[in-house]
Amino acid sequence: MLLIMDAVFVNRVNKSFGAVRAVGDLSVRVPAGSIYGFLGPNGAGKTTTLRMIMDIIRPDSGDIELLGQRSIGRAKSRVGYMPEERGLYRKMTVAKVLAYFGAIKGVSNAELAERVPRWLSRVKLAETAGKKVEELSRGMHQKLQFAVTAINEPELMILDEPFSGLDPLNTDLLKGVILEMREEGKTVIFSTHVMHEAEKLCDYILLINKGQAILDDRLAAIQARYKSGAVCIEAEGDTGFIQRLPMVASVKAEGKGLEIGLTDGGDPQELLKALVNRVRVNRFEVKVPSLHEIFVKLIGSANAEDS
Amino acid sequence: MKYLLSSSVRRMQKILKIARREYIETAKTKTFILGLLIVPCVVAGTIYLTSRASEKSPQQPLTIAISDLSGKVFEAAKNGAFSEYNQRNAQRQIQIQQLAPAEDPNATVEQGKEQLRMGRFDAYIVLDEGIVQDAGKIRFYTCKPNPGKMSRMGNVEYLMSEAVRNLRYEAENLSSELVRKLQSVQIDRIDIGQGEAEDAQSPADRGARFMLPFFFMFLIYIGMVGTGQHLISSMIEEKGSRVIEVLLSAVSPFELMAGKIIGLAAVGLTIIAVWAALAYTAASWQGVSIEVGGGLMVYLVVYYVLGYLLFSALFAAVGSICNTIKETQGLMMPIMMVVIIPMISWWRLVEDPDGPLARALSFVPPLTSMVMVLRISAGSQVWIGEILASIALLAATVLFLMWAAAKIFRTGILMYGKRPALREILRWLREE
Repeated sequence: MLLIMDAVFVNRVNKSFGAVRAVGDLSVRVPAGSIYGFLGPNGAGKTTTLRMIMDIIRPDSGDIELLGQRSIGRAKSRVGYMPEERGLYRKMTVAKVLAYFGAIKGVSNAELAERVPRWLSRVKLAETAGKKVEELSRGMHQKLQFAVTAINEPELMILDEPFSGLDPLNTDLLKGVILEMREEGKTVIFSTHVMHEAEKLCDYILLINKGQAILDDRLAAIQARYKSGAVCIEAEGDTGFIQRLPMVASVKAEGKGLEIGLTDGGDPQELLKALVNRVRVNRFEVKVPSLHEIFVKLIGSANAEDS
Repeated sequence: MKYLLSSSVRRMQKILKIARREYIETAKTKTFILGLLIVPCVVAGTIYLTSRASEKSPQQPLTIAISDLSGKVFEAAKNGAFSEYNQRNAQRQIQIQQLAPAEDPNATVEQGKEQLRMGRFDAYIVLDEGIVQDAGKIRFYTCKPNPGKMSRMGNVEYLMSEAVRNLRYEAENLSSELVRKLQSVQIDRIDIGQGEAEDAQSPADRGARFMLPFFFMFLIYIGMVGTGQHLISSMIEEKGSRVIEVLLSAVSPFELMAGKIIGLAAVGLTIIAVWAALAYTAASWQGVSIEVGGGLMVYLVVYYVLGYLLFSALFAAVGSICNTIKETQGLMMPIMMVVIIPMISWWRLVEDPDGPLARALSFVPPLTSMVMVLRISAGSQVWIGEILASIALLAATVLFLMWAAAKIFRTGILMYGKRPALREILRWLREE
């Protein structure tokens, strides 16, 4: 028995639809207990990859292991999958839909009696239990879809664009649930093209473009690799001297403060030391590149080469 | 082993849960409930109204012009045969009138035909001069009669010849009562069953027995094709509401298809049971006894189940590659055209249940169920070898179609947008 198991292991997978290559030679390991973000622009192959992990479509070549199983059918009841295309039976009531999907995922009736109300209140849908699905608003529908995904209390949650169409309150609600799941030792994979969502949640990032993996690493490592060598400060006093410091390459006003570009190898600590002697520093932030910036930098240049 | 066992049990449980939801959600729909109740009501209502209408409602009287060249028949006919008929059938009068003969008989006939063409009367009858003494003829002219009146023309012919016959008896000094007595021979039709009791059959019983094969075939047809419509609409709904992918994350495509097919089989059996019970109740209320042998019931179930599986495989394949009901209709057309064959030719098949047509259609797998049930219930002693051969062929076809449908279903169910071409579908079948 391995101690650290991969929840998902995708090994050199290819998939084409007609002449279009949706996923090309993609490999990724998702460690158990992590939150893994699949990022990429629209049409990058995120949904295709997730569908192949769920055995909804089959890869042309390569293999996939899910929770240590080569046969995905056996692992299915331990996984919750929320597809990008949301759909539930419109004529059934909220509680019945939830119980039905629980039942076909193999949850016993006794457990469902307890879990259905618990999950409905966890996503704040307890009052709508008796309503028909078609009466729900879009946000409520999506929260119900999330509860349907989680009703079998899976070890692995696979969420395709879980936050699209949600207002900020509901987004935070679902994020909270996802973080709680990590606390419980569960693995969560989600895809998104909205970078700041990934930034707040993910331990690992896989950046895909045109079916190819562009980046696959811990979020912290990625941020370190793409650090921009810039510092933002807010200070009281005459800041004119900063421009002349040896480690400073550029100074630019930004809002109330300044954005200072360092020279190659310029150490932010040295800058801070130089500053505190001369001015009162209210804010000093080594600028971490946002995923958005990395995304635009990597994918923007890749796609620009094509056109 | 234990794992295999528990996993197949779990698989079966999933299939049954899908089947259960499919059954409940279908049985709750308005189309289902209306179809279940309205069809028998409409059928019963139509039968009731037409039988009443033909008995009770007044019909337009027939007007018949007669040129009696013998000069002997008209009065006798008017006061005898026709007036008796008109007294008995108040709603269906036949009025006869004399078209006065002119000097020249030929001119009279030409004049009568001309008036008939103008629509002055429904028929024109010319009685030859020697109609009573010699073997003269009755000439019966009509001009583009409408079908409703056509059926009553037979009555006119009969009454006219009756009038002539009576005059001929008189001419030969025969009493018409005596002739009538000699002519009438009483017939009792008795069908002996397996038991001791000999029941004289009423005409209603005979009618019921005659319609029974058609009724059974119709139940099979509805059970197969009507249920198939529910299968298709349920699949189109799942595709349309995009629920399909959520389902496939929990169950395999095969489990989904199997669950749907089983659930809708229960729907079909519900329809069959309710209609059969209604028909049986209506028949016994009307005093018509219907005997159905146990052997027939066994065949009915076997042929229904196999036929249903065949059609549900076809419909599952159709439903999985289409996105809207409208798209399915194009593909349903050829299927429906084939199924309609026994519905149109059932009369021929019942008349000659062991004839070449019946035999040939029995081995066309989509029709096997309907035709075999029709033949067996029509009282034909179909050779058991033929029954087994037809079941074997049907079962083999079902297995093949299920295999093909599962493959098409697996790929087609997730395809949105353009309907795949036939070549593409054949490629899916070759995939492992």
